[in-house]
Amino acid sequence: MWDGLVIGGGIAGLMAGIRAQERGKRVLIVSVGTGSLAFASGVLDFGRVELLRQEEKHPYVLLGETAEKAFSYFLQCCPSHHGVWGRTGMALTPLGTLRAADLLPEGLDASPLTHANRIVLVVPEGLKDFFPEVVKANLQKQFISSTIQLKRLRIEEFVDWQAVGKPIPDTVYAKFWCSEQGRETLKNLIGEMTRKMVSDSETLVFPGLHVAACPEVEKILAQAPLPVVEMTSFPPSAAGQVLYDRLRGRFKALGGELLIGSGVERVEVESGQARRAIVKSKGKEISFTAKAFVLATGGFFGRGIVASSTEVRETVFGLPLYVPPEWSESSFLGAQPYAYTGVEVDHSLRPCDPVTGKVLLENVFVVGRMLAHWDPWVGHCGGGVSLTSGFLAGGLL
Amino acid sequence: MGQGLEKGSVRYSVQVVIIGGGATGVGILRDLSLRGISALLIEQGDLAHGTSSRFHGLLHSGARYAVKDPISAAECIQENAILKRIAPNCLVSTGGWFVQMPGDETDYVEAWLQGCQEANIPVREIPVQEALEQEPLLAKDVLRVFEVPDAAVDGFKLVWDNAKSARRHGGRYLTYHRVNEVLRDGERVAGVQGENLLTGEPFTVESLMVVNATGAWADRVAATAGASLDVVCDKGVLLAFNRRLFQRVINRLRSPGDGDIFVPHETITIFGTTSERVDTPLDHQPTDREVQRLLDVGETLLPGIAGKRLIRAFAGVRPLHREDRELTGASGEGEGREVSRTFALIDHEVEEGIKGFLSVVGGKFTTYRLMAEKASDWVAGKLGETAPCRTAEEPLLPALSERLRRKALALLPCAAAEKMLERLGQEAVAVLETIREDPGKGQLLCECEMVTVAEVEKAVADPDAHHLADVRRKTRLGMGTCQGAFCTYRALPLMWREGEKYDPLGRELIRFLNQRWKGIRPILWGEQLRETEFTRAIYAGLLDLQDKGTTTE
Repeated sequence: MWDGLVIGGGIAGLMAGIRAQERGKRVLIVSVGTGSLAFASGVLDFGRVELLRQEEKHPYVLLGETAEKAFSYFLQCCPSHHGVWGRTGMALTPLGTLRAADLLPEGLDASPLTHANRIVLVVPEGLKDFFPEVVKANLQKQFISSTIQLKRLRIEEFVDWQAVGKPIPDTVYAKFWCSEQGRETLKNLIGEMTRKMVSDSETLVFPGLHVAACPEVEKILAQAPLPVVEMTSFPPSAAGQVLYDRLRGRFKALGGELLIGSGVERVEVESGQARRAIVKSKGKEISFTAKAFVLATGGFFGRGIVASSTEVRETVFGLPLYVPPEWSESSFLGAQPYAYTGVEVDHSLRPCDPVTGKVLLENVFVVGRMLAHWDPWVGHCGGGVSLTSGFLAGGLL
Repeated sequence: MGQGLEKGSVRYSVQVVIIGGGATGVGILRDLSLRGISALLIEQGDLAHGTSSRFHGLLHSGARYAVKDPISAAECIQENAILKRIAPNCLVSTGGWFVQMPGDETDYVEAWLQGCQEANIPVREIPVQEALEQEPLLAKDVLRVFEVPDAAVDGFKLVWDNAKSARRHGGRYLTYHRVNEVLRDGERVAGVQGENLLTGEPFTVESLMVVNATGAWADRVAATAGASLDVVCDKGVLLAFNRRLFQRVINRLRSPGDGDIFVPHETITIFGTTSERVDTPLDHQPTDREVQRLLDVGETLLPGIAGKRLIRAFAGVRPLHREDRELTGASGEGEGREVSRTFALIDHEVEEGIKGFLSVVGGKFTTYRLMAEKASDWVAGKLGETAPCRTAEEPLLPALSERLRRKALALLPCAAAEKMLERLGQEAVAVLETIREDPGKGQLLCECEMVTVAEVEKAVADPDAHHLADVRRKTRLGMGTCQGAFCTYRALPLMWREGEKYDPLGRELIRFLNQRWKGIRPILWGEQLRETEFTRAIYAGLLDLQDKGTTTE
């Protein structure tokens, strides 16, 4: 018998698992996949918590008070991330524009750019989905008084890739910089930049570096006389992958168990309590009993909610969902009603009937993208809602 | 092309103005150009942005019309053979099947076989067992299967190849130019005047003749010259699936109705269609009800259709010529006669005394060339030109050398190379040279449709491209499974290099995403809903773009 069984191993599920495990509970995470962190940039947004709390039924109405605690707790779990509660930082998008960011992976903080006279944009040859001219133009637009220069880097290691026209993914470059040869190249580059420095307010913008992935690289940069600012990258991203690995590593280090690759088929329920999760693995059905469950199956993207032309369904418990009367709006990037689909919960994150408000399962806690009434791409609060609900659920297991 | 400014208006002078850049219009442009008649085509959007690309992309064998409309059937099979000869790069001879299902009228089959024979459409029966082996997704309770020479045709490509061929022979076209008025000089037409929609400048064209090939807009355009036409707008909804569900065209063997045609194209399948009267050609947004109806009907041919991944829904507006005016069968000598029941040439001199003004209405994509030939015959006759029509013999593109093909295969993956050669023909030379010099430009910018950076770069720089959507129509960028999630971003730097030619990139990008979104909204479920979440995560989350009220087109 597990103390907690977390269904779904993305950011919210891992957070719940970590906190519960740390509280001395025995937790099993069962997950079909590895969540969507590797598609994301590693930057976590909390959004304007107080403002969002004024939106009727936004998850922050229930979670808002805990958001700050979850923020701090995350920083303890992931010391390679940085952020100060209440003070929004900034990061560079893959296009070289600035965007607000609440929790930043090491190296991504773009604030040194604001007082740089000269910005040198490193152009690692062949880096996939990176467009130096566009980035340069955008940097120039935002830092009008700075001089922006390109520094092209030809890496011997990738000459063969380039000869056949194969682009080099961010994740491959990240591995290279961490290798002995990569570190040597990096040292030489920084040495060269230092010698050529004309003022003491120079900054390097360095896409595809990912210091957070490699302590040795971090050491090299710590000794560099000029700040190095990384960029978020187009998916898949090494920084997102690193964040996933860190959280998973932390959960395991605390003694948590993970079962990845097989999803929960269904959960048996007795008198308002979830009892046993049935998992199909290697053609056999295995069952796990637990005192409590966390539903962290990631909404539509994680397939925790599946829509067909005629119905919308929660895939594990078959919970009733809030489904908006209109499904979509004409502006693609504007608020989209479909995104508000999800499970309605009480203050303890337990699923409720959207019509009667009655708690449906006493020992199930719903987190992250499974919650109803929010659109992360409009509220810019995806990280905040996921971390906070995961943190809360971890305290309830 | 402007011949000097006069009172702020750009003026052109030409023998014939053609209004409308769909298949018929460019077909006429090419036909006239090959006869040495100077012609200028005016199109309010991009070429082929309307009905000529908003259809199932089926090159009919004529079998669909074999029972009800023998003239159409005969025209289709003739044109089918001609297009396979002159435009092999625009179509894939997939062949087509007519499939009889339980409940479909049995006596229809006999009448159909008879009709096909009379129209000279070759038909071969395929044993059901063999058919199911070749098309495993086809409903198992199929009763009879017949093979006919249907094919899949790329509307964008065919229209552009016509335009380019016309240009090689002196024809000219102006896109994003809207005609506001057909000008008159007493009894005669004198040209047209309108506005360049990109610059806001007015323009005037002087001409001896005006041909109105504006499809569903034809009555409105005719009215500006004081002529009247009865055109009915008929909306047809289509669904695009993300893969080739069938290897050939699948038709239901029954009286033509809704949801009985599947056509495989490149990596996708198009399924349609419906028929519903609408008030305006602009009404081409599919409704949830129409989509659901198609899925319900499609279940018969393709069980489990609702569970297949859809990538978008779209609709075209067919211009139907109202038949109650009884132009049909008018005297064979009169120039206002209708050449067949499938389409109509309306000589406004015969109808209402306006000289030099012809409207072409009705018809179908498969017979565009024939319509163009008839319209051009009329124009040539009026001008006293005697050069014969050559469009049935002259290929759209010169044949490709084996050397070019080998070079393409050496530089690119096979499928990507072949597709590029089909799209570009001889123009592939420049793209291949770019890739040879910089192998990085051989990267696939669009991974769904396998389009290289170099090719998109070329399309973006093309003087005919004014928006990302124009690039899409030439390259298929954004038309595959991801519906623009990756390629939109990757096209940005290429557009950026073109400087001010494009609108500010954020706006261009949001406009493009909103256009793609229009087609996704009616099928927003399943995997495409996941794709939507992902695409919004990239553009609204990662890139932090905001739509500040950009208008959609």
